[in-house]
Amino acid sequence: MYVSTVALGACGGCEASLLAAGEPLVSLLSEHDIGFSSLLVDRRSITPSDVVLMSGCVRNAEELRLAEEVARTSRKIVAVGTCAVYGGVAGLRRLEIERSQDEDVLPRVFAEARPLDQVMSVEMYVPGCPPPTGILFETVKALMEGVQPLRHDATVCSECDRRVARRGPARAVSSSSGPASGEGVCLLNESLLCLGPVTRGGCNASCPSVGTVCSGCRGPSDAVLSSQLHSLYSDMVSCVARTTGARRDKVAAQVEGMLDVVYTYTACDPVAMFKVRGKVPRG
Amino acid sequence: MNVTGNELAGQKVRIYPVTRIQGRADIEVLFDPHHNVAEARFRALDYRGTDRMAVGMPAQRVPQVLSTACGVCGPFHKLASCMAVESACGTRVPAAAGTLRELICWLLLASSHLATITYCALPDFALPTSDAAVKNVTGIYMVDQEFVSRLSHAMTAIYDTLDIIAGNRFRIPVILPGGVSRLPAPSEIETASALLASCEDELRETVRLAEMLTRRESRMMETGTPLPGSYMCSVTDGLAALLGTEVATAPFAGGEPRALSFDEFLSSLVEEEIDWTFVKPLTVDGFDCQLVGPLARVNMGFGEDTPLAAMERARLLEQWEHPLDSEFFFLMSLALEAVWAWEKAKRLLSSISYDGECWTSLAPAAGAGRAVIDSPRGLLVHQVELDALGAVSDYRVCSPLQFNYKTLNEHLTSVAARTVGGIDIGESAAARLQMAVRSFSPCVPCGTH
Repeated sequence: MYVSTVALGACGGCEASLLAAGEPLVSLLSEHDIGFSSLLVDRRSITPSDVVLMSGCVRNAEELRLAEEVARTSRKIVAVGTCAVYGGVAGLRRLEIERSQDEDVLPRVFAEARPLDQVMSVEMYVPGCPPPTGILFETVKALMEGVQPLRHDATVCSECDRRVARRGPARAVSSSSGPASGEGVCLLNESLLCLGPVTRGGCNASCPSVGTVCSGCRGPSDAVLSSQLHSLYSDMVSCVARTTGARRDKVAAQVEGMLDVVYTYTACDPVAMFKVRGKVPRG
Repeated sequence: MNVTGNELAGQKVRIYPVTRIQGRADIEVLFDPHHNVAEARFRALDYRGTDRMAVGMPAQRVPQVLSTACGVCGPFHKLASCMAVESACGTRVPAAAGTLRELICWLLLASSHLATITYCALPDFALPTSDAAVKNVTGIYMVDQEFVSRLSHAMTAIYDTLDIIAGNRFRIPVILPGGVSRLPAPSEIETASALLASCEDELRETVRLAEMLTRRESRMMETGTPLPGSYMCSVTDGLAALLGTEVATAPFAGGEPRALSFDEFLSSLVEEEIDWTFVKPLTVDGFDCQLVGPLARVNMGFGEDTPLAAMERARLLEQWEHPLDSEFFFLMSLALEAVWAWEKAKRLLSSISYDGECWTSLAPAAGAGRAVIDSPRGLLVHQVELDALGAVSDYRVCSPLQFNYKTLNEHLTSVAARTVGGIDIGESAAARLQMAVRSFSPCVPCGTH
């Protein structure tokens, strides 16, 4: 079986996370064939592959051409990382390029970042910024062995050891970057905007476990995506109101002022943004 | 695609993509009318504008966004961004937080170097004349499974240590603007210490192997192209440091290092814009081109607190004189620094406190701040300006590839002039040019951010 990796508009974190698997990954790859992977092998042409792990969003003309070429020649495309799945942080702002863009010299940069499935058909999504090493490796292994990879459909909250406290007087929720003050208490109870309730798990709640809020890097949970509104905002408001005992309309007004925090990783994704388009400030 | 045929009426040949580096890039070799090499250029083809994403954001949110400037050195970007914001706000982080941050930096340096050795650098040195199909980590695994296994053990042990200390090996959520979110518990320190202790033999072996391969490589390949310009890194008391107190630079041609305060250094930075690459090269006014990164730090020297690394460095300099001015010392410098970082991490772990203040709240106001640190690939600068509401009005990142860019291209041109014979560039010449690029450990996502 031929496996390949391609990084489009990416920071390289997804590849680094995969390579951190070490010997089990090398052993697995040596039993199969690496089609093309500019990070791993010196082969320079795009050849037909059974599985292609694609990270990054589409941000310039060369990336679009590369994505189309891979789509033409490959069987299964796996969108790896939140940039590939939802656009990621690159979607936070429109990018206006002041320098003159000579396309014969450098690829033309697009103002908008695009998630992978806007330009090609994607077989599987592995979100995360970056996806945890274990999940990535297990996904690659399963695909190469021809079995269905394990789905991580729960939320970050379901993996978090922090407990919801007895309701006290409701305080305004804040997007403060400060750490938790109470040992083992749910961060929402500390009035911190932790996105754990609406974010896909699989990361063992690594951020809340060290006292910092979940920033939603694994994207919306299955519950959010399958809900009627599929809106992070709406589900987040419900969770905060339920956990803190605050009135829903008050929480809604507070969270509406923090939409750029809620949609940090999904600002250019049409599904995640469906109900709040125009509300998230984008430069 | 393979080395393509000529373009622009036979004047230019493109090697695309450059492999075993982070990010997408190519090499263009430009010829004069007589088909002699006129210039060779390493071009970065990816631009994401991460620094621009920060403009308009509340200061405290910026480190989270800037950590995505590069996925490999992301934690260093996050830390530099935190430090720049703290400097703009006039905030001093508690001492315990500073120590934990430094510990994380050393662990990241060691793990990053071990990954670079395993996947990117080693194939060039271990299988220099092999076919492209086997010149990679799986090729080495088939020849010497034991060695890859041991390297991998050291790498994963350090990643596991990071998971324990920092919450997550890549996101490093424990680092926040104002300090750290918590200090490790005694049981976590104990587990982390045991993990670090378990990789000593593997690290020693890595240095031995790197030394052996470097000796063989320097005999096999022509070495008559010394690196131009000066080497440069952050220092404390004249010795290389990741979170140093000033910047020092010294010429490869010989001479004493010259120290620059951070303010002096930043005010002398000159940034250029070139139309054929997304990288904006940086030079220090009054100096020739620079080299930052592992080789620069090895040349600057290690302290007495890391005796194993200092001893190995001394052994190296006995064989090849100071300063080490050839690209072939790249693998050796990575291995040496992995040991250096491991020793530093072990030392800090044994003295780290697990009690007391670790975070201070920030009060963002109008002001400017900066951070100058050394990351695995070299000097990294973050500068921020905040408006009266504490939102970012301007953000600037200066990355290792920008500092190295002129040196890299100058060196690449001289290697191309010696190895490329005419406009049909063969696979071996293409491989040689790419090896020259890799010896600068270029990180394109960092370089163009």
